[in-house]
Amino acid sequence: MSSILPIAHALIARKDLPVPAWLFAWAASIVLIVSFFALSVGWRTPRFEKDRWRPLSAGLSRALLSLPAQILYGAVGVFLLGVAIYAGLRGTEAPDRNFALTFLYVTTWLGFPLFSVFLGDVFRPFNPWRAAGRAVEGGFTALAGQRPAHLRYPEKLGRWPAAIGLLAVVWLEIVYGASGGVAVGLDPHAAAVAAVLYTGYTLVMMALFGVEQWCRTGEVFSVYFGMFGTLGCFGTKDGRLGTRRPFSAATKWATVPGSAAVVIASIASTSFDGAQEGAFKSALESTFNHLVDAGVGLTSALRLTDTIFMLLTFAGVALVYLIGVRGMAGVPGAPSFKKLRDGFAHTLIPIAFAYLVAHYFSLFVFQEQAQFTYLLSDPLGTGTTDLFGTASSGIDFRLLGANAIWYVQVGALVVGHVIGLTLAHDRATAYWGDYRQAARSQYWMLAVMVAFTCFGLYLLSVANA
Amino acid sequence: MNSNTARALVGAGIVVVAVVLLIVLKSDNSDSSATTTKGVTTIVIKNGEPVGGIAQLTYNKGEEVRFKVDSDVSDEVHMHGYDIMKDVKAGGSVSFDFPATIEGVFEAELEGRKEQILELTVNP
Repeated sequence: MSSILPIAHALIARKDLPVPAWLFAWAASIVLIVSFFALSVGWRTPRFEKDRWRPLSAGLSRALLSLPAQILYGAVGVFLLGVAIYAGLRGTEAPDRNFALTFLYVTTWLGFPLFSVFLGDVFRPFNPWRAAGRAVEGGFTALAGQRPAHLRYPEKLGRWPAAIGLLAVVWLEIVYGASGGVAVGLDPHAAAVAAVLYTGYTLVMMALFGVEQWCRTGEVFSVYFGMFGTLGCFGTKDGRLGTRRPFSAATKWATVPGSAAVVIASIASTSFDGAQEGAFKSALESTFNHLVDAGVGLTSALRLTDTIFMLLTFAGVALVYLIGVRGMAGVPGAPSFKKLRDGFAHTLIPIAFAYLVAHYFSLFVFQEQAQFTYLLSDPLGTGTTDLFGTASSGIDFRLLGANAIWYVQVGALVVGHVIGLTLAHDRATAYWGDYRQAARSQYWMLAVMVAFTCFGLYLLSVANA
Repeated sequence: MNSNTARALVGAGIVVVAVVLLIVLKSDNSDSSATTTKGVTTIVIKNGEPVGGIAQLTYNKGEEVRFKVDSDVSDEVHMHGYDIMKDVKAGGSVSFDFPATIEGVFEAELEGRKEQILELTVNP
């Protein structure tokens, strides 16, 4: 039997037009030219390994980081998570009319990376689980007169729980949600149940290993948003706010094992989402049909197919990176494979962000109009409340034309590529004392980045989901 | 690895990219997006599903989108993006005629059944 796959609609029944061939060709050419130019003009001593820390005024730091302020940020986070869960459980089943799905998967999941790359880790103060965990820890300390004891976190596990969790979060929306039988994505009720389960799991892990330890390595949202936050120029140090050189914090990010897996999971999940309606479409359909022929039920076959391809994409992205690392390891004077693998992982963060912009920029712009109009006034989507008088407003799809979307998408990929190359070059000059060898090692990273960027462009040109 | 092999590899990478470019550019020439839909398209709904699969309509911005839905089921046809909703009765038909003002790819559904019947492409 032959069947057409129901496709995933991320909330709104609108897709971007594919990037035209001429723009694709130009962008790919620019990427290559820029890359070779970069090889010839590289600097010889690392520039981003030092952060050039400049603290902000002590008064401002104290005000923004005081305990009451921190409690306020945390309370805001807990409140919003509560609203989303409540809306998901009690509100309409229509994903596009329910506050929960847009808030969790668009405003939060796409919004925090966007603000973090410019500002720094802005999720941390609002993290509802961290706030709840700290409140419990504080209460325990006050009652027991001593800080709670925690298990030692297994060093080797590193950020792997976060990497797997990241894949699971995306899987829930684009694999599980896509096959629920409704045309417009994940059922808000399922999203709310997932949020409740995740809250329980996170609080248990925090109790076992400590709040800050779990946020550093295991809590998906802390690790994921924090990763993008390392590109931003604001941070805290010794309890004080300050500015640092952009991208400098990224150079220290991947020192925890499993960090490479997190950034690879990010690139892979975005790639899969972009490819499923275009580049992978026929392969997905043929796998799906094989499974159905073999007697697997329709929904299970669809989920199984998508899961297999999502994991294959993860393996493929990891393979491209590891081939690059293996190549670098062969350059005279190279540090160990393991050190290189971890040491260059942060250079993929800008690429991961560029992929996010390329695939979700228009969705974010359109869906945020819904977030701040009818979803805010009528969070349950029942049509009976109008909290702020904006319940009857809608999304203006005229806000962005196809050309504007294309240029932002392609521009993001090119800029991400350049920043990635810059960070890789910088790291190479730090690892190889000899400049000539450092430059030689970068042929490999250049090939990796060109592969990712051109693949990203290719996905946009095939189908712009 | 010496620098000659490195150069060879980078060269190979460029060749691969060039080949991909060529394939994409070539395949794009035969793309249907170059031609736009003329006249009034009729979408026939049988047992709540579009006969012949999801209809593909392509227009340039500013042109007039015209289609008609002949349905054997009672439902509401929802043209997403343009947000036009029209009821159709079982055995009846409903006509759409509106200017293509919004760029992008949009779908029309039988709202009650969540069944996509049309994909509308509006090129800039």
